[in-house]
Amino acid sequence: MADLSLIRNFSIVAHIDHGKSTLADRILEHTGAVTKRDMRAQFLDDMELEREMGITIKANRATVPYEFEGKTYMLNLLDTPGHVDFHYEVSRAIAACEGVLVLVDATQGVQAQTVANAYLALEADLEIVLVINKIDLPSARPEDIALEVEQVLGLDASEAVFTSAKTGQGIDDLLTAVIKKIPPPKGDPTAPLRALIYDAKPDVHRGVISHARVVDGSFKRGDQIELIAVERKYLITEVGKFKPKPTAVESLGAGEVGYFVAGIKTLADVNIGDTITHCIRPTDAALPGYEPPQQMVFCDFYPGVGTSTDQLRLAMEKIWLTDSSFTYNTASSDALGIGFRCGFLGLLHMKIIQERLERENDVSVVQTAPTVTYEIKHKSGEVTRIESPADLPDPATIEEIREPIVSVQMIIPAEFVGTVMQLSMDRRGKHSKTEYLSPDRVIITYKIPLCEIIYDFYDKLKSCTRGYGTADYELVGYDAGDMVKMDVLVNGVAVDALSVIVHRNNAAFRGRKLIMRLKKEIDRHMFEIPLQAAIGSKVIARETIRAFRKDVTAKCYGGDISRKRKLLEKQKEGKKRMKVVGSVAIPQEAFMSILSPDD
Amino acid sequence: MRSMIGDGENLIAPRPRVGLYIHVPYCESKCGYCDFYSVPKEGRDQGPLVQSLISELTSRVAALNGDVRSVFFGGGTPTLLDKDLLTNLLDAIRRSVDLNAIEEFTVEANPATVNDEIASLLAASGVTRVSMGAQSFHPAELETLERIHNSDDIVVSVATLRRHGITNINLDLIFGIPGQTMKTWDQSIDLALDLNPNHLACYGLTYEPGTKLTAQRKTGKVTPCDESLEAEMYQFLIDKLASAGFEQYETSNFAKPGARSIHNLIYWRNEPYIGVGPSAAGCIDGRRYKNASDINKYVTMMAELGHAEAESETLSKQDLTLEMLLMQFRLIEGLSIQSFKDRIGEDPLKQFDAVLPPLVQKEFVTVSSTHIALTRKGRLISDAIVREFARACDVTLDTPLPLTA
Repeated sequence: MADLSLIRNFSIVAHIDHGKSTLADRILEHTGAVTKRDMRAQFLDDMELEREMGITIKANRATVPYEFEGKTYMLNLLDTPGHVDFHYEVSRAIAACEGVLVLVDATQGVQAQTVANAYLALEADLEIVLVINKIDLPSARPEDIALEVEQVLGLDASEAVFTSAKTGQGIDDLLTAVIKKIPPPKGDPTAPLRALIYDAKPDVHRGVISHARVVDGSFKRGDQIELIAVERKYLITEVGKFKPKPTAVESLGAGEVGYFVAGIKTLADVNIGDTITHCIRPTDAALPGYEPPQQMVFCDFYPGVGTSTDQLRLAMEKIWLTDSSFTYNTASSDALGIGFRCGFLGLLHMKIIQERLERENDVSVVQTAPTVTYEIKHKSGEVTRIESPADLPDPATIEEIREPIVSVQMIIPAEFVGTVMQLSMDRRGKHSKTEYLSPDRVIITYKIPLCEIIYDFYDKLKSCTRGYGTADYELVGYDAGDMVKMDVLVNGVAVDALSVIVHRNNAAFRGRKLIMRLKKEIDRHMFEIPLQAAIGSKVIARETIRAFRKDVTAKCYGGDISRKRKLLEKQKEGKKRMKVVGSVAIPQEAFMSILSPDD
Repeated sequence: MRSMIGDGENLIAPRPRVGLYIHVPYCESKCGYCDFYSVPKEGRDQGPLVQSLISELTSRVAALNGDVRSVFFGGGTPTLLDKDLLTNLLDAIRRSVDLNAIEEFTVEANPATVNDEIASLLAASGVTRVSMGAQSFHPAELETLERIHNSDDIVVSVATLRRHGITNINLDLIFGIPGQTMKTWDQSIDLALDLNPNHLACYGLTYEPGTKLTAQRKTGKVTPCDESLEAEMYQFLIDKLASAGFEQYETSNFAKPGARSIHNLIYWRNEPYIGVGPSAAGCIDGRRYKNASDINKYVTMMAELGHAEAESETLSKQDLTLEMLLMQFRLIEGLSIQSFKDRIGEDPLKQFDAVLPPLVQKEFVTVSSTHIALTRKGRLISDAIVREFARACDVTLDTPLPLTA
């Protein structure tokens, strides 16, 4: 049985790109857990997409040994995602730890996700080690930045550890601080077993591999266990630790982090946040667990070219088994057929799921414009929620439509305050507060309707602050708004998949943009095609795609026939990619074009 | 059309009547819009090519299960061949083909290359028809097209040919040339009509992929004619030629009564033809082939293999259906319902029952007891209409054709 006093469980949190994964790499290397020969960048990120995008999507973990003052400590390290969409992953990781490293870039200072993630740790009452990273860069200002952190987060600047994850400088100091500052896990090795399932991964051969943090007691291979929430019993067939490669061990004891395999078939059978205990001598108090993830952004996925609804369904199931933080339900559209209404943690999450679907399952996906959840107060007094414009009831029966409001915290250089305020007001934002981090850096907080930021708010914020602005948001509630459903009519026929819910004041502007983009996507036909954006029966924007005046092959003789036929075949195939609505062929790209940022 | 000889017990199908195309790839210089295979003739030994042409011609005609109905000798510019070699080639044609039994013998000529000597040789060799690329009578337009002749050459050439007894003359004209106006187009048509041709082929200028003209358009050096203006020029042409006594019988082809091109009708009716020469294509017995384009490759293949086919394909039902749509809708008479039934084994009215009604209703297409044809309004957007029909050809047609005799 491991000595609890020699265990440290901690995670690394930071703003995106501040060097979390590189720091994790360096710790693995420094402690000898991974040899230099096996080392590769972002060692813990095993998803192809993570390496490609240079971001962490899923929290990752490793157990490494570290010699300090003659004793061998066991350090359990969790690398977490930095992007705002994946707070949920961070909060899960934090719940399995006693401490966190708050990592701050010595050139960039405190950013929106630094604040958001550090607060998660503070709320969970974890010990924090402040790490100022990238001190090797010429523009690094470690002392200034430490003071800035002290001001914003109340962490003692004098205790900051200065590192360069790139060169390895300061890693020993950091590991010393981990051992000295972060408390060993509390827990009773002799009490009935309580272990938290904080993550789970499917494995083709062994079923589900559940990641667990043991709080009390211990378990080993051959034990009969119960998953308390789902009330299922299993026999443990393998117990292991991530070193960082999964390695079987005898048992996991109190305070330890590792995994177990127990003949659980699919992820649907496991509740992340569930507590496991023994069938014999069970605990009578389950651990608190997690709140379910909250989906903020919704869109439809329809099968694209060469993909059937069933293929798409299988692919969705497969991805869901590796990431249950998105939801999907069957949806149908006159224009696009049978597909799925999906909910995501945020826009990046949506993009990642769509990419993983196409990449890992070889299906093609047509995606509709993202939308948010609206609360509908009916005249009857009943309140319901809708996640799709198609579900909006008859306006005559609606008392009011309430839209989700988020509190957006933006950290920007002071010189851009005016521009950022203008941007926020353009998005119907209401000012909450402005705080100066230092004379030249400001945190501005606005309450903004979520639907105003899901398209391109980040891009806009970046471009109007020359790349320096960062933002984070959290849902604060629902407010009544003058929302209307805007339909798009192609050749007089409303195309349901193109409908959007918009604020009345923005409707004309959004309608015009949408119609202009559509005009670019739809080819000319034999007849004129009117494109209209309308609210109810009132047309608010209109464009016309002119008919062909002339579309004739001038000459075709014996030598041309084969080539012309092959061209025709190609065009015929192209037609299959089209969705025909009201005798107009609409290319799949048109549905996607709604997503492209404003020009 | 398919007359059967016999009393019902001993049916003999008539031997198919086949078109013969011979390609001579030499040109004085390449025109900017042309995508045919051609090379400048300057400094080339034409002997080996002519030898190979004669050899392919002889073997293809000998192997033919049918009779040659028409000869079309094109290019390039066949009249650019050295006179001795041209004579040899024409002699070889005469030896292989019964000139008394053929209905048409066309030679393509560039107006700048026709002289008394050539005209007399052609007439003596049995040539009945000469097709000349006049293209325009406007100097600036000819320059844009990079034609080597001038408008006077056309006038002189026509007179020379007539003097030697070749009276069946086609002139090619082009509209939609960058810089062309309705006025200059009208003038070109007038000047062409003044020469009293029997046949006019009038093409909208096409930006073929890989041509110099297309490259110039991409770089903005050339501004294409406005689509509406081009449509207007086309409508104007149809009306003007009708009042001059020409019948339009194909998208771009107009003839005095009795002067329709027999050889070209073979293509448009999807009937069999053989091609001889570099880059020439043939389609016979349900199989299409295309010869190697490069002269050296062609000559080498002929010498080593006895043929120069670089590619060939057996047409499936689906292939032939698309080809019939592509070609027969070019004809004013339209798609022959009977020939579709005979060749594909389906009733086109049933096959296309999903696309026909809206097209008929919009007055793009008319259906008679014998043909499905485009209306004049439909003709302007014929490619779009063919695409509509093609959409109705599903994979069930993707089966091999029964071999047709």
